Amino acid sequence: MRYLKEVFAARELLGNLVSREVKGKYSRTIFGQLWSLVNPLALMLIYTFVFGLIFRSHPAAGDPSGLDVFALWLLCGLLPWIFFSTVVTTGAGSLVANAGLIQKVYFTRIVLPLSVVGSAAYNWLFEMFVLVVALSIAGAFVLPWLPLLLVVMLLLAVFSAGFALMLAVANVYFRDTQWFLSIALQIGMYLTPIIYPVSLVEKASKDVGSLAGTPFALIDIYRLNPMDHFVTVFRQVLYDNRLPDGLEMLICLAWAVGSAALGVLVFRRNERNLAEAL
Amino acid sequence: MSDVAVRVDHVSKSFRLYHERNQTIKSAVMRGRRSVHEDFWALRDVSFDVPAGSTFGLIGSNGSGKSTLLKCLASIYYPNEGTISHFGKVAAMLEVGSGFHSELSGRENIFLNGSILGMSKKEITRKYDEIVDFSGVEQFIDQPVKNYSSGMYVRLGFAIAINVDPDILVVDEVLAVGDSEFQEKCFRKFEDFKRAGKTVILVSHSMETVKLMCDQAAWLNRGELMAAGKAETTIQAYLDSMGSGQH
Repeated sequence: MRYLKEVFAARELLGNLVSREVKGKYSRTIFGQLWSLVNPLALMLIYTFVFGLIFRSHPAAGDPSGLDVFALWLLCGLLPWIFFSTVVTTGAGSLVANAGLIQKVYFTRIVLPLSVVGSAAYNWLFEMFVLVVALSIAGAFVLPWLPLLLVVMLLLAVFSAGFALMLAVANVYFRDTQWFLSIALQIGMYLTPIIYPVSLVEKASKDVGSLAGTPFALIDIYRLNPMDHFVTVFRQVLYDNRLPDGLEMLICLAWAVGSAALGVLVFRRNERNLAEAL
Repeated sequence: MSDVAVRVDHVSKSFRLYHERNQTIKSAVMRGRRSVHEDFWALRDVSFDVPAGSTFGLIGSNGSGKSTLLKCLASIYYPNEGTISHFGKVAAMLEVGSGFHSELSGRENIFLNGSILGMSKKEITRKYDEIVDFSGVEQFIDQPVKNYSSGMYVRLGFAIAINVDPDILVVDEVLAVGDSEFQEKCFRKFEDFKRAGKTVILVSHSMETVKLMCDQAAWLNRGELMAAGKAETTIQAYLDSMGSGQH
């Protein structure tokens, strides 16, 4: 409880660090904040071309929204994934990148990884805003779902923050973490139903049957991936425009709380040693 | 108000001297261990009180543990044994301008750096003019700090840190920056501090500085406290030991 108070007391510092990241990131560029849209747009074009046109991945139309646009369907899963992967990658490096500061000034260390979450969230909000506009133009009725969307976004932010906290500490002791992470994230992206619908996995799982005599099927293992649940919920809210499954929401909530609790715990345990270990 | 500002109570601090350190997973697995190390005691059972309102000097030769102790005082390191109790708000100046963002303007950096040092936005706004005035960079305050000369950079950093307005100020040899005019300014600021009944703890190699500014001092040698008390006697003891060491 005292720790939370300490973090709360540092909220101005957190705000300043976030604005440092946000302002510093696109300074001296002509397009400024627009650059944050370029990466997702480029990925969208690539995946739409390869998987939408060539492989003919055809996800079911939005129910009840009736949307049937691969690019938009893709973005509903891709934008949350990019946010998660940005937070985790930059968050993992946040302590090492600020080693000089940690060794010279005392402050609540946790603000460093949290500021990464804040600045990534800023970009993400901007991207999601553009996506919501695009969805509305395409005929989806997203507006009434915006409050719920914000709740899910918050859950994903909390979930990602917990991961970032753990990995930031791990990276101080083992610098392999950041390199390992980039591979893990690539694998993770293909193990999450972002560019293909989860129904294809269900079908494949049924064909394979139970795994080596165990009562588990492929899909059960696949479902262990927390991002699968987040992406599912995001699609239900944004693309289908309906109330997400209660169970899926609960799973997301559980992952968010668990990851954040573990992250804070790990961080607190190691916080005092950071200046020496770096 | 207690008359002790900082109580250093049986503080010991060790570092690990690594003979082998496996910071990658591969080497950790291959060698079957994370590290081989022995403990090096940078501070061993150091105790003294810093009286409130004093200017307290830490002296000793290189490697005596001064900086380690200073970092412990600034809550950057934590002692393995013993405790350090502060009676009042502490600000540490171990480096000036830490956390400056080179692309941001001087003005933005004042707010950023101030909040890293623990000031609230209100406080910074209140002291903003004083900070800019003290640093002497008002002409360039809206320029990105990467265009600052190194002197300006350091002056701005120092001006922010000195305006944190702590009860206890912990200073590493940052006094050796800036031209003589700026150093003069800093000395005066420390005098003001003293007059306001605040405590300053400083580390310096220059006996002149310590003699001039400090009324209390502690002398460390290889992590052990040799003497603490009145500045003059402590400095004399230190100088004597060096003299005898040279014969």
